[in-house]
Amino acid sequence: MLNSRFKFTLKLAKLNGLDISWIMLMLITLANALVAETADKSLFVTAVICFSIAFKGRRIMDYFMELNHANKTIQLFMRGYFYVFPLLIFLADLFSKQLAAITTL
Amino acid sequence: MPVGNLNRSEMSTITENIFHLNGSGLVRNEPETVNKIPGNRAVWVGIFAELTEFALFFIVYFIAKAHYPEQFNQGPLKLNTLAGTLNTFALISSSYFVAKSLAAIRVNEPEQSIKWLWRAVMCGVIYLIIKVWEYHWNVDQGIQTNTNKFYTLYYYMTFNHLLHVGWASGSLIWAILGLKSGRYTQNNHLGLTAIACYWHMVDLAWVIIFPLLYVLR
Repeated sequence: MLNSRFKFTLKLAKLNGLDISWIMLMLITLANALVAETADKSLFVTAVICFSIAFKGRRIMDYFMELNHANKTIQLFMRGYFYVFPLLIFLADLFSKQLAAITTL
Repeated sequence: MPVGNLNRSEMSTITENIFHLNGSGLVRNEPETVNKIPGNRAVWVGIFAELTEFALFFIVYFIAKAHYPEQFNQGPLKLNTLAGTLNTFALISSSYFVAKSLAAIRVNEPEQSIKWLWRAVMCGVIYLIIKVWEYHWNVDQGIQTNTNKFYTLYYYMTFNHLLHVGWASGSLIWAILGLKSGRYTQNNHLGLTAIACYWHMVDLAWVIIFPLLYVLR
């Protein structure tokens, strides 16, 4: 029992940034699916989902796409995309009536 | 850096020390990424063009949702969340495999790099199979492209994304051929990096599409 725990700890210690990112992204996706199946509509749920989108995007860009030390302009636009769109999702939910009013022809 | 007279283990030690390989932490001195454009300029023009296209879809989604809130509240409930979740798993895993492939070529292990890329291609194929199955399932549930505004957007976004997964999978196979032929090596794999960046972009687009269509109401 102790031996298997030790082996498991050793395995965890060997995980690198890529492996940890992959595990985190899978877990967040699973949590999102759980929310989709169980949670009722609320602004809080929307905020949590928006945060998860921003986090997943940043993780993929920094660790998989390797943008964390790349060209600053590319970094700015890519990171900006994943700040702006989660925020827009939230704002579109929060001000849906106003959005409908200003986009009515 | 002269590499011709070094054996494989010496080369691996040098690259590990100099490049701070992706597999072992942050990429600080990797010549193709530090303060540089990963891959090449052309692929980034493509990536930003694609992201702009998806951005327009998202904006249309916000406006349509504001005008038809009931359709957008009920729409996700009838979609197959399991299919959407499995597709997200497939895309995230494929991105991880592509990153692993890049890490392998940096330590001069092209065979390993090829193996990781095949795994990524398999994920792409799994995604396509699940998507086609999901479309059939939708039709059986009476969900068509013209059922309502939500489903029109759902089909438009997901089919467009499916096309991107299709040709990006083709580019991964192209990279495998490049590795097999020796076109991509430890010291020259910018093309592979460019293909990897494009693949990650396809994954990033899905990171937004999945919650918009399957999770949020």
